[in-house]
Amino acid sequence: MAIAAAKTPTPHPGRLRNSLRDALASVVLCGPAVALYAGFVVLPAALGFVYSLTDWTGWTTRPHFVGLANFRELLADERFAAAVRFTLFQTTMIVVFFTFGSLVLAVLLDRTRRMKGLIRGLFFYPYVLSILVSALLFKYLANYNDGAVNLLLRRIGLGAWAQDWMMDPAWVGYFIFAMIAWNALGFFTTLYLANLQTIPVELYEAAGIDGAGPFSVFARIQLPMLMPTVMVNSVLALIFGINLFGQIVVTTEGGPGYRTMTVAYYIYWLGVKNNRQGYASAVSFVMFVALMLVAAAQVAMMRRRQVTL
Amino acid sequence: MSGRGRTRRQPWPVLEIALLLAGLIFVAPCVLALLNAFKTNTEIIMDPLAMPRSPRWDNFAFIFQGMKLARPMVNSLLMCAAVIGSLVTIGPMAAWSIVRRRMATGRLLRMFFLAGLIVPFQIVMVPLLKEFRLIGIEFTYLALLLHYVSWGLPMCIFIYSAFLTAIPRELEEAAAIDGCGQVMTFWRIVFPLLTPCTATIVIFWGLWIWNDFMQAFIIMGPSKGQLVFVQLWRFLNDQYVRNWNHIFAGVVVLSAPVTALYVLMQRRFVAGLAAGAVK
Repeated sequence: MAIAAAKTPTPHPGRLRNSLRDALASVVLCGPAVALYAGFVVLPAALGFVYSLTDWTGWTTRPHFVGLANFRELLADERFAAAVRFTLFQTTMIVVFFTFGSLVLAVLLDRTRRMKGLIRGLFFYPYVLSILVSALLFKYLANYNDGAVNLLLRRIGLGAWAQDWMMDPAWVGYFIFAMIAWNALGFFTTLYLANLQTIPVELYEAAGIDGAGPFSVFARIQLPMLMPTVMVNSVLALIFGINLFGQIVVTTEGGPGYRTMTVAYYIYWLGVKNNRQGYASAVSFVMFVALMLVAAAQVAMMRRRQVTL
Repeated sequence: MSGRGRTRRQPWPVLEIALLLAGLIFVAPCVLALLNAFKTNTEIIMDPLAMPRSPRWDNFAFIFQGMKLARPMVNSLLMCAAVIGSLVTIGPMAAWSIVRRRMATGRLLRMFFLAGLIVPFQIVMVPLLKEFRLIGIEFTYLALLLHYVSWGLPMCIFIYSAFLTAIPRELEEAAAIDGCGQVMTFWRIVFPLLTPCTATIVIFWGLWIWNDFMQAFIIMGPSKGQLVFVQLWRFLNDQYVRNWNHIFAGVVVLSAPVTALYVLMQRRFVAGLAAGAVK
């Protein structure tokens, strides 16, 4: 439609008017996004850092500047140390499982020829459910008296193995991990499956001619080609683990005691439940630094990969 | 394992059957919930695996009368519509402006929005509540809407930007030469090309807001928020006696719309949710 017009030179109605129109267009196009994001994400985040230097306790009293006192308190805070330990424990399991467990599942799913959609659909399904739904299902499975797991154990004569999965300090960490693994397995597997589809068929054909078995196909072709996603998934799982929060709220609320308190839950516990906003902000600052380091490492890795490509 | 090596050439459905069984066991908790939503509480405790003797439809009646879930369902749907509507107008405009136009501030804006992808909710949570109180909209649907939209924008812009870089710019340039203003060019020419991306955004945020419990619970405060999962949670915490049949009925009804859409358009769902990989 514009071919005829393209041949005639565009009119130049003066530079000033042009740049004014440009600026106006920028405001219309970008303005709402910048205003909302600056007002309700950046501003509160910045305020959070300011609060981390105060003793603000919540809604009534005025905050006082206390310098780095919150951060000094943090160093000696036993609950914080416990929260860091539990978060690292969960994060380790999450990273290992979502990097390698979902890799194995994806390679197996990739080999299916029949009922492909159905089988993949089953494994992905829990990811479309609310975490509250996952939590309720797992609470039911793990319940000591009426839970399905203990009931099955009792029925097949292994009643002695029945545990209070959610209340026993020895088991509760694995209970939470099981719920997370169940909920998000499909997501991480899907990222691998997408990558597996980009592997050229010629590589498999060549391997077939060479008489390579499934294990050497996996080790020599699939694994090297999947390395980018191994990287992406491990970083995503790491961020996922550090941010672990909602899953704790809807299951154990940090209990028993403060056995399952994660760093993110500790911030919520301090800030919303115990009115120690200043201190809570200091903890969230530490968490933010950890996430920044992960993001920086990720960017560095992507840069290096682009160079080698 | 070694068996598969021998049958590699001519596919024999051992792998398929094994994976299908594993998948069925994987979703067994959901099947159990569906089964037990039709039983009485005693039946569930006696034998969770048995078929219901006679389907108890009153479990479902209860979630509307006892749990009062009808109103929250409407609220959640309206909230989904409002958030998605805002995101797919504001987001792509900003993304296009940042990606295409030679703005001096383009790179800076890009970094500005990208930074939002790694901010955890805990950091903004408490100051945000204070801010809403200062404006006078504390614990309102408007506050929650503002939060959802602002919180979703960085990823929305990121997804649209990635998509935009794959679209040739000749069409837009032609429109500009035709004397179309930039805002008009965007809505007339560019936005229709972004439809697949918009579909992804609709699925991703529709699902997220319908399923969200945490953020609605915190932003809407202790008593006022009435979105579906907040209401379900509130009901469960009020009850002294846990009635599994009611819990299962609630879980089934609240997951039904999502499940139905998932079954109907599994491909789109998986693609849409995998797009969230940047977060």
